[in-house]
Amino acid sequence: MKTIILATAIRILIPIFIIFSVYTLFRGHNHPGGGFIGGLIGAIAFVFHTMTHGPQQTVDTFLKLNFYGYPRQPNQSRSLYLMRMMRVNVWRRRKMARHPEIKHRMIRIESVYIIATGLLLAATSGVVGLLSGQPFMHAYWADFYIPVLGKPGTPILFDLGVYLLVIGVVLKITFVMSEE
Amino acid sequence: MNHLLIMLPMLIPLYGAILSLFSWRYVRAQQFIGILTQVCLLIATFLLLFDVNENGIRTTQIGSWPAPFGITLVADLFSSMMVITSAITGMAIYLFSIKGLDKARQTFGYYPVLLILQLGVSGACLTGDLFNMFVWFEVLLICCFVLIALGGTKPQLEGAIKYVTINFLATGFLLTGIGVVYGIMGSLNLAELAVLVRTPVSHPALITMAGMFFLIAFGIKAAIFPLFFWLPASYHTPPIAISAFIAGILTKVGMYALIRLFTLIFVTDQELTIPLFTVLAGFTMVIGVFGAASQNDFRKILSFHIVSQIGYMLMGLALFTPLAIAGSIYFIIHNILVKTNLFLISGVVAHRHGSFALKKLGGVYLQQPLLSVLFFISAFSLAGIPPFSGFWGKFMLAKAGFEIDSFVIVFVSLAVSLITIFSMTKIWNEVFWKKKPVSDPLLEVMTEREKHDNRLLHLPVVMLVGFILFIGLYAEPVVAMAQLAAEQLLNSELYINAVLKK
Repeated sequence: MKTIILATAIRILIPIFIIFSVYTLFRGHNHPGGGFIGGLIGAIAFVFHTMTHGPQQTVDTFLKLNFYGYPRQPNQSRSLYLMRMMRVNVWRRRKMARHPEIKHRMIRIESVYIIATGLLLAATSGVVGLLSGQPFMHAYWADFYIPVLGKPGTPILFDLGVYLLVIGVVLKITFVMSEE
Repeated sequence: MNHLLIMLPMLIPLYGAILSLFSWRYVRAQQFIGILTQVCLLIATFLLLFDVNENGIRTTQIGSWPAPFGITLVADLFSSMMVITSAITGMAIYLFSIKGLDKARQTFGYYPVLLILQLGVSGACLTGDLFNMFVWFEVLLICCFVLIALGGTKPQLEGAIKYVTINFLATGFLLTGIGVVYGIMGSLNLAELAVLVRTPVSHPALITMAGMFFLIAFGIKAAIFPLFFWLPASYHTPPIAISAFIAGILTKVGMYALIRLFTLIFVTDQELTIPLFTVLAGFTMVIGVFGAASQNDFRKILSFHIVSQIGYMLMGLALFTPLAIAGSIYFIIHNILVKTNLFLISGVVAHRHGSFALKKLGGVYLQQPLLSVLFFISAFSLAGIPPFSGFWGKFMLAKAGFEIDSFVIVFVSLAVSLITIFSMTKIWNEVFWKKKPVSDPLLEVMTEREKHDNRLLHLPVVMLVGFILFIGLYAEPVVAMAQLAAEQLLNSELYINAVLKK
């Protein structure tokens, strides 16, 4: 279903979806929202992208990390080499992708790993209380406010875990269904 | 420390599952993580049992929310014994799966799902909140659905659909029951409910009605007489490692929930519940064992026997004396171990001889004498022949029955034991004793590697037989512990005081 209208529209919509989902995630402790809803809203962005460009393109755009590198020259100092590598990887990425000498490695982020990370965060947010002799999921809150997001605390970690879990599950479902 | 000890039986499988998900592509790593998790779980559950045995009922409030409002986890002797038994079974299943399950299934998330199933069992046994219990049963249901359907062969899907449809019905009843209870009493904490039920202003008829919803829901999950038909239709379809675990644990968790609720909460109308349970227990035993007698497939016979054995557990609840409940508890522990073991033995036989059908099998005694001895011990335990574990459970139940003059149900249970021996003898004759009917030359010649694998498959069976012999020959401490657990169940004040801290 590749239409130019949709393809143009989602370029604007995707950041909006993602920003709004993060906002929903953080306001969820005291207002409507939270990890589950936030995750669903965030997943809409990826679902739309898959609908217009197909699953392969979505994976290439969002779920692939490219690392560029080249072998260290004989007389090059370590610090210079590391700086070059950083430059290659951080602010000259587009150009480097086509450079003949540069090798690049890809890491594909499987949705299973997103799910697992989410579970890990959610479970660990409860263990924090356990380790200090309090019951499981005992909440610890910071003393200060962050302007838009509110007060940080361990329950945020739990919500973040749920957020990642939901995104991971929806992505997995979307990819499997669109491949069939 | 107290909080940590109760949480560990749930946290260890959860973290194990997370680690297995991270090593999704590496089956070896998943196997290693699975075994490691099970060992840790076994140690943690032993520690929990010792702690509860020494210090009485232990509780923890999740998120520091005080008792009637938040979720409470309660570990009393009964639940710790359940958790420890499930850990032992899980250990055996993991040892079996490494060689006994095909690679394709192992790569598609078998290990994480099995660990989450283990988490669900721990959760359902340790929770002290009605709705939380419902959630854990959902976790069990989803995991079982995945496990039964994993691999996607036609009979598996058929079994999975039957299993899930009927269990969704059970879930519906359970949720309705919870809704009714919440509507009447405005609380879901088990201890708070136990207090409210015993106050004179509550409505006994409505509470009994809610109790019937729970009876139907957990009756389906535990496969009690009119609601058992899904069990023999689905348990023989998945590979043996999966069906052994589900067959061993799941129905007993349903039974655990029944015993917990009908000793703690729904005790107001015992003129109705006790005769009802007696009739159901009798029919469950008889129908199950007759169903088994008519089958000609190793696993189907065992599946029907699960139904029959559930009757004994229900019988303890029907007699409702301390000794009878203790008998039920002992019988549940014994039955989880024995039933899992018999399923695993059928798996070892099928791995070597390629079939579950009694007609095609034969001559196992000549080729695998050790396996035959192991089967002999397990089968006699199941039938309840004196030195083995089944005897003590049945003995306690029968004695409790004679004490309150319920001769009919005791007579039925003893008669059913006889027919159980008949079924076990049938398996013994057909599989182990008679000559092998047709020798398929392809199956006869096994490579060295396959023979080695088959020997490794004996390991979990030997381990389980060790535990069965332990609780049979050295029954005294286990029986004493079951009696203590029954005391705790019948003296609800202990539970209420531990949770509400009065």
